[in-house]
Amino acid sequence: MDITLRINGATYAGSPEARKTLADFLRDDLNLTGTHVGCEHGVCGACTVIVDGRPVRSCLMLAVQAAGSEVTTIEGLAPDGELGPLQQAMWDSHSFQCGFCTPGFVMQATAFLRDHPDADEQQIREALSGNICRCTGYQSIIEGVLLAAERARQS
Amino acid sequence: MKLPPFDYQAPETVSAAVELLAEHLDEASVLAGGQSLIPLLAMRLAHPAVLIDINGIHELSGVTVTDGWVGIGAMTREYVAEESGTVAESLPLLAAALPLIGHEAIRSRGTIGGSLAHADPAAELPAVARALDAEFVVRSQSGERVIPAADWFEGYLTTSRRPDELLVEVRFPAAGRGTGISFQEVARRHGDFAVAGLAASLTLSDGAISDARLAFAGISDVPVRATDAEELLVGERPSPELFDEAARLATRDIDPPADLHGSSDYRRKVAAALVRRGLRAAADNADERQ
Amino acid sequence: MAGIVAERYTGASIKRSEDPRILTGSGRYVDDIKLPGMLHAAFVRSPLAHARVLAVDVSAARALPGVVAVLTGADLEAMTVPGQDPLFAMMGAGGPMPEYSLLATDTVRFVGDPVAIVVAESRYLAEDGCELVEVDYADLPPVASAAAALDADSPALFANLGDNIIGPHKRSEFGDVAGTFADADRVAEFHIDVHRHQNVPMEGRGCVASFDADSGLMTVYAATQSVHITKMGVAMRLGLEPGKVRVLAGDIGGSFGLKIGASREELAAAAASRALGRPVKWTEDRSENLAASGHAREESFDVRAAVSANGDLLGLDVKMLLDNGAYPVMGTMVPAIMEMMLPGPYKLEALGFESTAVATNKASYIAYRGPWASETFVRERVIDLLAKDLGLDPLEVRLRNVAPRTDPPAVMITGRPLVGLTTRESLERIAQLVDFPAFRSRQAEARARGRYLGIGLATFIEAAPGPRSPEPPSGPMGMESMRLRLEEDGIVALFTGQMPHGQSHQTTLAQIAADEFGVPFEQVRVVVGDSDVVPFGLTGGSRSATMTGGVALHGARQLKTKVLDFASHLIEASAQDLQITDGRVWVRGDPDSAIEVSEVARRAATGEFGADVDANLEVEAAFDGGEGGWSGGSHCAIVEVDVETGLVTVQRYVVAEDCGALINPAIVEGQIRGGVAQGIGAVLLERSAYDQDGNYQSATFMDYLVPTACDIPRIEIEHLQTVPLDADVNFRGVGEGGMIVAPPTIVNAIEDALSPFGVRIYEQHLPPARILELIAAQR
Repeated sequence: MDITLRINGATYAGSPEARKTLADFLRDDLNLTGTHVGCEHGVCGACTVIVDGRPVRSCLMLAVQAAGSEVTTIEGLAPDGELGPLQQAMWDSHSFQCGFCTPGFVMQATAFLRDHPDADEQQIREALSGNICRCTGYQSIIEGVLLAAERARQS
Repeated sequence: MKLPPFDYQAPETVSAAVELLAEHLDEASVLAGGQSLIPLLAMRLAHPAVLIDINGIHELSGVTVTDGWVGIGAMTREYVAEESGTVAESLPLLAAALPLIGHEAIRSRGTIGGSLAHADPAAELPAVARALDAEFVVRSQSGERVIPAADWFEGYLTTSRRPDELLVEVRFPAAGRGTGISFQEVARRHGDFAVAGLAASLTLSDGAISDARLAFAGISDVPVRATDAEELLVGERPSPELFDEAARLATRDIDPPADLHGSSDYRRKVAAALVRRGLRAAADNADERQ
Repeated sequence: MAGIVAERYTGASIKRSEDPRILTGSGRYVDDIKLPGMLHAAFVRSPLAHARVLAVDVSAARALPGVVAVLTGADLEAMTVPGQDPLFAMMGAGGPMPEYSLLATDTVRFVGDPVAIVVAESRYLAEDGCELVEVDYADLPPVASAAAALDADSPALFANLGDNIIGPHKRSEFGDVAGTFADADRVAEFHIDVHRHQNVPMEGRGCVASFDADSGLMTVYAATQSVHITKMGVAMRLGLEPGKVRVLAGDIGGSFGLKIGASREELAAAAASRALGRPVKWTEDRSENLAASGHAREESFDVRAAVSANGDLLGLDVKMLLDNGAYPVMGTMVPAIMEMMLPGPYKLEALGFESTAVATNKASYIAYRGPWASETFVRERVIDLLAKDLGLDPLEVRLRNVAPRTDPPAVMITGRPLVGLTTRESLERIAQLVDFPAFRSRQAEARARGRYLGIGLATFIEAAPGPRSPEPPSGPMGMESMRLRLEEDGIVALFTGQMPHGQSHQTTLAQIAADEFGVPFEQVRVVVGDSDVVPFGLTGGSRSATMTGGVALHGARQLKTKVLDFASHLIEASAQDLQITDGRVWVRGDPDSAIEVSEVARRAATGEFGADVDANLEVEAAFDGGEGGWSGGSHCAIVEVDVETGLVTVQRYVVAEDCGALINPAIVEGQIRGGVAQGIGAVLLERSAYDQDGNYQSATFMDYLVPTACDIPRIEIEHLQTVPLDADVNFRGVGEGGMIVAPPTIVNAIEDALSPFGVRIYEQHLPPARILELIAAQR
């Protein structure tokens, strides 16, 4: 099926099979491999992207369902190579280790902070509880999000 | 875990959708939010010949109020219902249950109708629908039917929707004055399916219970109303002893499933605890709605 | 890239050089790799735990458009050399050697056992093809438990072995076991079970194998903990000269012991690539990872403990049974390590240890972060149980039994010296950080209100890498190698066989080398992941802090000497008068003499100097661990148990740890927290469950539950002042410790919470239903 959609501000066209997930379409057809596939049944959150303003598990959407949508992937957060404020805060906080879960966390946290800029730690933990990390025990990720929120309040 | 092949259809109207359903019947699966169906397909537990994607049918979304009933279009996203002022004001039990459904990203896509048509007995919305005696509006080429919740849930992942019918709307009665609610669940982790859950609603009038609804999630192959316990409660004044007895009655005859997350006996014990906790919470916030 | 500029990098939480690519989705993991003409593989897997394979009909699969090849177990036997798992082969375990084919030929031995490989234009089509392969099975009785495997009547999994005992019974004694037990005031007996659970990295196994027929070169893009061990495995099983195999690895999404060597599936993909002359990618999906990649920790222990009335732990006599699953990978090697480590930091006088390992119709027992961890679980559980039996405080009992730090050091009954031991300090620090008396008041008050809080404590040591051995270093892990080179552009390049998969070596090793050599952190590049370019190495066993940190330190020093020798030809001064700081070479006391290191490098590369000047600015360094020591620490947890639902909340978790000198505190803390999270997960959530017929039940993330951000509290970490043992290298490993000691910490806390009910716990997995069962059993 021919589709066009906007990803990270640019228009893309493709012809995915109807059964191809958005995650696989991004990775295989468009070479946007920043979005990772961790479980393919919607539990781990590694595939999280933002579709029409909402965080979404791209492994649970068909690519054809994203036709005409605005999609933001991890590649869209630092288009000119400069890290965005959340990414910078996570770098400063040593948020990650192996990095496989990272894009999903960054996208989920981006969507959440945009809507809840003053969330407390417990709210942030709940908001990120649908993203699994096996390396960090989560504390450093939470600290990165808290730091980003704090910096946004100060600026 | 890649999806098997299927013929993909994306009708833009209800009539186009029901025409497809009439043509393909059991060979078709309806794709709403996809948060339950796509994992099943990815695990190749289902191989529908035809997938009817109803996400393009815009008339199926929306929250309306008519004569004390709140109608929610089947394709209304769970996050939309969560953000709806109408739902918060008129359907507090639904409002309490929605944040427990999975995680935010699931609720971005998952739909009220989709969850209820999928009918996982451990999910939150079937228990809410059962507790409130919601009504299920289905449409086919022959017209429209309204099915009460008691008749909707037939078995594990099975509803009374006929293969040629599309669920278009679910209607919930608006909570009245003096109604307090509680949605309690025990899940292994935040956002997981309930090992056991309870949708509870109590209406108090002059300090006595005039209406009691208790519907369990996760203790059978369908959501279950604890009618014996409800009958015990009506007419009585809330008290810990009353709630203990209600818990006993509510769980006396249930035969919960056993799986990796709990034995049958465990679910029964938890169900009883949920009744005690849920009734206490519902009674507490019934006062707030006087 | 804005890094933290520090005068001295080592010891500071320098920001990671890995993060800019990780945070922007620019990492390159194996599934990101696309090669021209690449095909995709999927596997037909057994749905049965134990069966004969009577026939495999691939005709319908082969006929499916887009399917390029289907290879059965028999096809692959003709293309490969029989052998063992590469990790198993490398560790050189003795004992019975089961013979089995690369993919199943006549027998399948666990649910998920691969039977055929389907190679197609896409993974979607490969899976379609798998559904069309028809396999005719004849059920065999499943050997679904270790007890069944011990039964002589159970069918033997392997035709060349008479039974399912693959780790034959072996007993060792240290000290006077019989006498110690005979004279003890009290002998207690326990049976303790540790359940099957598993690694679950966020990225599963996988590779892209690419055989070039013209050159005969096999290139494997791998997710691995060692490019060289993978290379050895591929070369051996494919019958290739090692020089014809190149293994490349980029970013790896975690492993925790899973990705060592080459799995049967990866070898099958490589064989398929050679047969087809095209690259073949196989990346396992989550259901494969959970069901088939391997599990760990399924062991049971019969323990006798000899104790004095005052709480001296005099002797332990332990009998262990290990459920190895079907194919040997790591399981049979675990008991020997456990035996050595069982005394821990205590003054044990006698130890009897015996073990048996059996094959069962389950996925293989593989390495999982701290494979020997059950020794700490058993020991720390037993200490608590004994303390309760004797009416003594568990902290006091531990303090009473800890070996003193003496010179010469106390020696573990099993042989290793307890040099530099800080266990006492860690326990005392815990007591300072956690106000035990205040907790006991809070606990009593909560109990009166029907709430059940508990506190638990555990301590451990691990050989990371452990003290210097009296024997010279031997085997592939005995010495750590590194090549260091001053590149033409002035970059100090470290070529290491380490294969980081979350350990942040590109940062930590650069910190050390930058400090030693004298260049800014940004001027060091750590090169990993190319078997043509890096020396042998393996990231595992919590070795790298000492071994690789040490070889980086000494190698950088050696490289500096060489560079200064060369530079003395550029700057008219003798090498002893030269120094390197902040990327410049200069004469001590004469800043105007400074020239950039990059200028020195450029000059060396011009070839302008004659044969009497060594302008090859490269060294090959090796390090044997120096005066290595123990890592260890004490952990403490406070939990609340909801006795109506069995749900456990970890309210507080405190760590007092000693991993020697810290290279990068934030990275150390991340490793500890990740390990603790896995330990909490093991107790509360994670189980690789089989039913009595060997059917696997935990094959999705809805059944194999991994902890989330709502399950792991903030973990408070105190770094103890370590006891330096070596003149230069006092970094010690910290990768595995959290996972080793967290399970007994949590279980001890849960038992404390449930003590009003009289509950005693002899197992590690405590999901809510089990907690209610334990309470009910006491009523």
